[in-house]
Amino acid sequence: MKDYNIVITGVGGQGVLTASQILGWAALRAGYKVRVGEVHGMSQRFGSVIAYVRFGEDVYGAMVPEGKADVIMAFEPVEALRYINYLKEGGLVIANSKPIPPVQVSMGLAKYPSMEEIRNIIENEFKAKLIAFDAEELAIKAGHAITTNTVLIGALTQTPEFPLSAEHVKEVIRLSVPPKAVEVNMKAFDLGVQAARELLGL
Amino acid sequence: MAKVRDIVLMDKPGERVLLLGNEAIARGALEANIAVYAAYPGTPSSELTDTMAMVAQKAGVYMEYSTNEKVAFETALAAAWSGLRAMTAMKHVGLNVAADTFLSAVGMGVEGGFVIMVADDPSMWSSQNEQDTRVYAKFANVPVFEPISPHEAKEMTKYAFELSEKFKHFVLLRTTTRSSHARGDVVLGELPEEIKQGKRKFGEFKKDPSRFVDVPANARRFHPQILEKIEKIREELAECPFNWIEGKEDAKVGIIAPGLAYAYVKEALAWLGVNDVKVLKLGTPFPVPYKLLEKFLEGLERVLIVEELEPVVEEQVKTWVFDKGLTIEIKGKELVPRVYEMTTRRAVTAIAQFLGLETPVDFAKIDEKYEKVKTIAPPRPPSLCPACPHRNSFYAIRKAAGSKAIFPSDIGCYTLGVLPPLKTVDTTVAMGASIGIAHGLSVASGEKQIIVATIGDSTFYHTGLPALANAIYNRSNVLIVVLDNFVTAMTGDQPNPSTGETPHGPGKRIPIEEIAKAMGADFVAVVDPYDIKKTYETIKEALKVKGVSVVVSRQICALHRIGQMRRRGEKWPLYTVNEEKCTGCKICINAYGCPAIYWSEEKKKAQVDPIMCWGCGGCAQVCPFGAFEPIKEGEQ
Repeated sequence: MKDYNIVITGVGGQGVLTASQILGWAALRAGYKVRVGEVHGMSQRFGSVIAYVRFGEDVYGAMVPEGKADVIMAFEPVEALRYINYLKEGGLVIANSKPIPPVQVSMGLAKYPSMEEIRNIIENEFKAKLIAFDAEELAIKAGHAITTNTVLIGALTQTPEFPLSAEHVKEVIRLSVPPKAVEVNMKAFDLGVQAARELLGL
Repeated sequence: MAKVRDIVLMDKPGERVLLLGNEAIARGALEANIAVYAAYPGTPSSELTDTMAMVAQKAGVYMEYSTNEKVAFETALAAAWSGLRAMTAMKHVGLNVAADTFLSAVGMGVEGGFVIMVADDPSMWSSQNEQDTRVYAKFANVPVFEPISPHEAKEMTKYAFELSEKFKHFVLLRTTTRSSHARGDVVLGELPEEIKQGKRKFGEFKKDPSRFVDVPANARRFHPQILEKIEKIREELAECPFNWIEGKEDAKVGIIAPGLAYAYVKEALAWLGVNDVKVLKLGTPFPVPYKLLEKFLEGLERVLIVEELEPVVEEQVKTWVFDKGLTIEIKGKELVPRVYEMTTRRAVTAIAQFLGLETPVDFAKIDEKYEKVKTIAPPRPPSLCPACPHRNSFYAIRKAAGSKAIFPSDIGCYTLGVLPPLKTVDTTVAMGASIGIAHGLSVASGEKQIIVATIGDSTFYHTGLPALANAIYNRSNVLIVVLDNFVTAMTGDQPNPSTGETPHGPGKRIPIEEIAKAMGADFVAVVDPYDIKKTYETIKEALKVKGVSVVVSRQICALHRIGQMRRRGEKWPLYTVNEEKCTGCKICINAYGCPAIYWSEEKKKAQVDPIMCWGCGGCAQVCPFGAFEPIKEGEQ
């Protein structure tokens, strides 16, 4: 495989970096050459965050260029929209539908767009597919809100032509989380898989 | 996914692991048998220092968090003088702080290998300027290495120690945000016996005043010696494993790709489907090895230099070509921007333009479509955390000093106080500058203007100390609020003299208020910003004093505290809005601005996101109607 490109977006503190590391390890353990691009420091403080996971033969730099991502995994709806220019035409966006309104919105300095507006741009302007569901709700159902990223990773593995198997990724998560958190993460992963399969009609 | 500490210490040569660029450099330093490491944290260099902190004791390495880059540099340098392998690391602007020692001592050279890791931040993701450390390399006549991947970063670190020792010269290892903060597959090498056994290494300083005392008579010898060394190193680097020529041997067109730009050039060529060019991959942008350059240029008619930031390689190449009287078309900064970071898009665009090709995707069209996104996606700049004590300090300062006061501030998380609604940061320049700027503003206004400077604990020790001495000595009229949250928070919660903790056990605590008193400040007080009323009253009182007042606003960093509580499985109170009491006045949002509080347009009431609330209770103190109430123990 030449290259597979994942863009992960969200709000600082949501676990974007953790998710990118897990996917990086999963790709490494599957034998691929891997690059994971992260931004640390100031942007982590509740700001908009983007990370990149890329693997395959033609992978050199850590950043996915605009128009080349196969899939975007977004922890928050507006953050799915903000980085839509990274997605290739016909790519897939998997988004948590639970919004986190920025302080600017609460202050009345900016407006939070509706899910329809977001979907319209992603699907009509950028010719991509969007599946959105409340991953946080599923995480709470699994046992803890902190597993939202596991729910999303579960969903991500159902992306058509995703090069890593769901079982392989799940195993890496099982090995990565503390022993007492394994069960809830496994449950969260399965709920994510199930949600994506329903939305993708699989 | 093993722990970073375990991976970096792992004694399994040949094992493939996933490491961050900075972590890979730490591993490289261990494989090189480093003895002494000293650094002050700074994004994007910090994880190197933090990784060294994790492994140092086990590996028998002396490691310290120094109070600034200059003393860190000197600590490591003196170890290298004593025959030990030593390293320091900093962000690009840290080298400005260390520059006096760097440029003065370079002529003295070293005995043990000495590697100076400097992490640049093109596009300024976490920085105040965009300086290019390769220019410093040229300025000081010190070789500089720049890796393309975490694995190469590790290998370069080892090579850099050897080169430094061979030529008894300083060596710079320059990364950027995109190489320091990129994770990649790394193959582990051998660890030296001493590292495996955790045996601390000691050196011996051999006195030689003709070398280590830079009085003019000695210093005059240094400059020609440095120039001689760098030319010898230039020759050596033609054979170095990080510089090579690849691609079509008899090509007419060549591309020079220094440092990480090589990664983008490789991707661009693959994406464009171009394979009839020759590529010069340069791991040492200064000095450019002329022997290799000469070989590369054979048969070429046109050359494109794809280089990030300053035309460091371009100037060397053009000078050499001019001196040789060659006629080769060379393009560089005409096609590759001089500002902001290199990207694959930039490399693709420049190469396509140079070769007269179409780009594989129409970037202009993507940008055009993206215009619509810009109009509807609300901005989400970083903000102070929920329960951040700085928010309370700024809130109290602004209330007490009024909006006409001037608020010079400094480098740290609290720089975010510039954003609405707090807007209590009027200037930031460089580490420690708040106090000097405050003093100058006071002088300029005839000591009449109310000036309240804010500076963090770590920044205070870093470069605030001499500025405070100056303000007190020269009888300034300013209030300095030291935002003491016990850690160097922005860079990842490193310890500093505020608590006196070190990664290896207790050091010595240096209370800021004792320093202020000893220096002769006219008013000194300590407050807890979680008590907003008391903080406000103390600032009011300090403002009445003519002279230099120092208020230490002390409360542990919320992010640090929550991290510790999570690890211990502890809970904290959560606040909620009593909707009967909330009048919808929005003071909590428009004056206080905690990210856990949001506005419900439906209910016309403030709401608290229970996942974001870290239970400081600041909202309850700010709300005039008592609408915020603690409900239950949180469990995030």
